[in-house]
Amino acid sequence: MRRRTLLATGGVLVGAATTGVVSDPTGNDRLLAAARDPGDGGEASTTTERLLADTDHETTLYAIDAPSDGPTAMIFGGVHGDERSGIDVAHEVTEWYPDAGTLVVVPETDRVAVENDEREGVDGDLNRHFPADEEPRSALARGVWDAVERHDPDVVLDLHRSLGILGLHQEYVGQAVFHSPGADGEALADRLDDDAVPWYLPFHRFTSLESNASGPLLFQHAARELGADGYLFETTEFLLDRETKVEMTRLATAHVLSLHGLLEAGESA
Amino acid sequence: MSRDNLLAEDDSTLRGWPGLPDSLRRAATGPATAATFALLVVPFALGWYDAALFSPLALPGYLLFGIGTAIGNAVAPRFEFWLYWAPFLAGSYGVSVIVGYGYERWIARTDDRSSL
Repeated sequence: MRRRTLLATGGVLVGAATTGVVSDPTGNDRLLAAARDPGDGGEASTTTERLLADTDHETTLYAIDAPSDGPTAMIFGGVHGDERSGIDVAHEVTEWYPDAGTLVVVPETDRVAVENDEREGVDGDLNRHFPADEEPRSALARGVWDAVERHDPDVVLDLHRSLGILGLHQEYVGQAVFHSPGADGEALADRLDDDAVPWYLPFHRFTSLESNASGPLLFQHAARELGADGYLFETTEFLLDRETKVEMTRLATAHVLSLHGLLEAGESA
Repeated sequence: MSRDNLLAEDDSTLRGWPGLPDSLRRAATGPATAATFALLVVPFALGWYDAALFSPLALPGYLLFGIGTAIGNAVAPRFEFWLYWAPFLAGSYGVSVIVGYGYERWIARTDDRSSL
């Protein structure tokens, strides 16, 4: 009887492990290759700008023009200075090659907060400085908003991470895609689940939530004032190491670019 | 006291559970209890160390830890999540003892039937 029990237990363990290996999400190499490699249409050209030049907040903006016309997407990292996965990915994205349109990236939006490795900079939480029907509340927010208005993006993506998980931990918002009305947050969440979340980590599946446009967040302001499709992406610190958070953030960025026509990886991406 | 009884008493003392009834001692330290505890804790601990090491085997520990942090976060929001390791280990042991006790009872019943 004990031998049979042992054999049954061993069978279950081996079966579970095999299922895990087989069903482990493999990322999306095709999509990321499309982002990293110049397409057949020719090289993109990159220009840089100094935002808030000669101030404590001075930070670099990268504008990458694809060889073909298309929409403009703006990607922001470092709106909160201690959320490193978004900063890492935004830096990486400055070396991507969109197939169409213009990709504008600000990797260290609140540079003082990034250097101090703190959520907030000298004027507080930058992502609460864009109220409806008012001027942005701080010099940094006004400088960032000037750049947004100049580039007039069709899509805005703001990269974040939370300590916990939305719906599981009541005060945290991790593993979520907040999006403006009309933006395709649900498709983004589905694609991320397919590419990056194994079935045996069910709490880590992404939730998409449509956000009303009345809040003081940067992506809400862009949606409200410019009619852009806005996304705020949140991964989580909970049980994920830095490499995993970066991979989820990288995939979120690539999928947003694909969904809005800057990458030609297509529907199957 | 017979030699057998002396040995049994020594054995119980050596195991560190003097005075406990045999069935409870076996439930607390038996192989099924140890295996269940290992299944709950080890695969989850591997995933905690490196998320790439999460596997389906970590699912029971993952659920237990996740639900524990959800309850804890609702009651006392400001605790960092690594602090939940202590209640997780205690909870895992509690679950393991229940499984171990059930297993011992099942074995005893099977043995009784086969001796008829």
